[in-house]
Amino acid sequence: MECDNRSSPNILQETVLLISIMPAFGSFALLLALALSGYNLFAGAIALRQLATGARGRVSPERLAETARRAGIGSFFAVTCAAFALVWAAFTNDFSVSYILHHSNRALPGPYKFAALWSGQEGSLLLWAWLLATYGLVLRLRHKVDVKLTAYASTILAGIQIFFLLLLNFAAPPFALVAGTVPQDGFGLNPLLQYPEMVIHPPMLYLGYVGFSVPFAFALGALMMRYPGEKWIHITRRWTMVTWLFLTCGIFLGAHWAYSVLGWGGYWGWDPVENASLMPWLTGTAFLHSVMMQEKRGMMKSWNVWLIFSTFALSILGTLLTRSGLVSSVHAFAESAIGTWFWTFLVIVLAVCLFTYILQRDHLKSEHKLESLVSRESSFLFNNLVLLAACFTVLWGTLFPVISEYVQGNKVTVGPPFYNRVAIPIGLFLLFLTGIGPILAWRSTSFKSIRKNFILPAVSAVVTAIVLMACGVRPWQDWSEGQGSLYSLMAWSLGALVVTAVGSEFLRGAGVISRHTGQNLFASMIQLMRRNTRRYGGYIVHFGVVVIFIGLAGSAFNQSTEQELNFKQSMKMGPYRLVCQDYSQDSNLNYDTEYAILDVYRGDKKITQLSPERRFYQASQTTSTIVANHSTLAWDLYVIYAGKDPDNGQPIIKVFLNPLVAWVWIGVLIVILGTFVALTPNMTAAFAASRTRVPVSEAPAMAMGKGGD
Amino acid sequence: MTMIACGLLLIGIFVYVFYPERNVEAQVQKTRLDFLRERKEMLYDNLRDLNFEYRAGKYPEEDYAAQRAAMENEAAEVLAEMDLLERGVGAV
Repeated sequence: MECDNRSSPNILQETVLLISIMPAFGSFALLLALALSGYNLFAGAIALRQLATGARGRVSPERLAETARRAGIGSFFAVTCAAFALVWAAFTNDFSVSYILHHSNRALPGPYKFAALWSGQEGSLLLWAWLLATYGLVLRLRHKVDVKLTAYASTILAGIQIFFLLLLNFAAPPFALVAGTVPQDGFGLNPLLQYPEMVIHPPMLYLGYVGFSVPFAFALGALMMRYPGEKWIHITRRWTMVTWLFLTCGIFLGAHWAYSVLGWGGYWGWDPVENASLMPWLTGTAFLHSVMMQEKRGMMKSWNVWLIFSTFALSILGTLLTRSGLVSSVHAFAESAIGTWFWTFLVIVLAVCLFTYILQRDHLKSEHKLESLVSRESSFLFNNLVLLAACFTVLWGTLFPVISEYVQGNKVTVGPPFYNRVAIPIGLFLLFLTGIGPILAWRSTSFKSIRKNFILPAVSAVVTAIVLMACGVRPWQDWSEGQGSLYSLMAWSLGALVVTAVGSEFLRGAGVISRHTGQNLFASMIQLMRRNTRRYGGYIVHFGVVVIFIGLAGSAFNQSTEQELNFKQSMKMGPYRLVCQDYSQDSNLNYDTEYAILDVYRGDKKITQLSPERRFYQASQTTSTIVANHSTLAWDLYVIYAGKDPDNGQPIIKVFLNPLVAWVWIGVLIVILGTFVALTPNMTAAFAASRTRVPVSEAPAMAMGKGGD
Repeated sequence: MTMIACGLLLIGIFVYVFYPERNVEAQVQKTRLDFLRERKEMLYDNLRDLNFEYRAGKYPEEDYAAQRAAMENEAAEVLAEMDLLERGVGAV
């Protein structure tokens, strides 16, 4: 077989040797991983059963559980070997491996060869298995946090791992060899995937999907062993937040990829695969909120358990939708018959969850009841109900084509108007809850307290609405074009309410610290955050969500135009004038490109030059669009080279003016920052006191001032 | 070569999994007392939060007093049960 490295005959010989052994080595590693996960599951289950019943075998249950844990760790090394073998095959152009033949080619740049690992079905299932093994490795290495609970979680994770390894060994083997003559070059990677974000978007999304396996395993394990108390939530809190962060990043990277590559001018089209990632995010977000009620007040235990069970099931459903081709999508890059495997696994998972829940439901009795409809608890409850309503809507819309085909015999799809009609009001109500949640007290809130805390945010919302109307946002004038501008007005006004509510929380807390320590307000605010990172990190996340909503609301005012644009001709969009300077062509080993060179003027001043492209990839014989975007805080000037008019051969340029899009991405960065703050351990009150100029006599009072949650 | 690589991986993992470990981590059973200690910590945390928010001017005096009394009652119940259990353990 030919190889890229031709510098030395010896190196060539060694490389050829490695090429030939890698597929077999990878296949063996996958089989070994399956055997190890099988041992982890069965030995772990026997050991836990013996510990629960007090029975003793020839080997002590502790020792048996230890070998099971180590087998779990061993499975990580075996899956890592398999993943390495596939990446090696991609980098050495080993087209004897069918997967590499179909997802790579010689001219493909290095990072995309690496991305080939998750660009097809077999590879992405291997990525799932490897990420699960990595999460499992961290969990098993940290088993001393709670040996018995971790043993349960490790055994459950092994069960999940077995499913993916069964798929990889028997249904979708990544190392299947090409029958007959091996082609000299591969068929290439899907051009839509040849974009920098596609190197990090799928792993991020998968880190999110796979990560929910860990809180799921802990929750199921805690229920199986009737774990006393809520400490398991404390143990899994960081897992859940990290997973949620990965999923959030994955979703928005996907949105940014769609915006930059698909060339339809938007970033979210309610595509089934986008929906698949949104559903576990919605239930995961609900879980992150409602779990606080269990931790703080011992409430909603059954609800939380089912939320995390559902989140995991939706992650599996998401993988099924992405990988099986069950629904048609611009994001579904693999189609096959593994759907039956996934449905079977889903049924088994739900059966195990239901059986365990029925068996142990008396363990999940709430310690307290909801005391008032106006309380922090009720705001969490509403938040959960609304998030679940959104999730159900998205699930219904996503599966509707499948259900309609099953019932009526023909596929009926639902489009963005269906989702927008439900999701926008739900989103606005959630934004409202984000604003009033922090204002409400635990247990119950009196009218006096509401009046005290709610006036300022409400005034801020009303003032924002009046200012916006004065600036020209007048929904009653645009009513004939839909309710878009009304929703935008509401989103911006509610955004002001949330920012004021969150800001006053910071200022009030910082004020207390400032009074005690004599520090300035900014330093006090930093100390406040460090004392209760979870709470104030959460507020920063909420602030980021507001910024995202500001950006989303801008879409009601999108404009677009399309025209034939020849040399030295110009077109107008909003305040911009685009002048065509040239059309040009270029070629490299991977693709041929045709692009327009457009000068962009604002008034008489040239502000930038844009070059929208159309690429033709030789290996896959497909075309893709590369958008040129001039992004500012006010709007994006988004330009597409739509090709040539087939009738007259004139080039067509399509231009969009999308207001406030940059705020969506800025909001995501704030959400990431907030989550990092929330993940940071709290500074202890004693340590905080030692860092301030507080007199000794005031120290006990300081210890009382943690900063609230 | 394939056989050697696979063999080395198999032997390496087999030795790691079944290598006799002298000090295996014990599977500690969590007691009711452990649970109550956690609950007590959480209640104290909630009380600290309430005090902080009150001093930040978030709640009127009467709301604060009612909330504090409810939490203190709950904490007292937990402490009483802990005391009972600890005395029981001491007696054994």
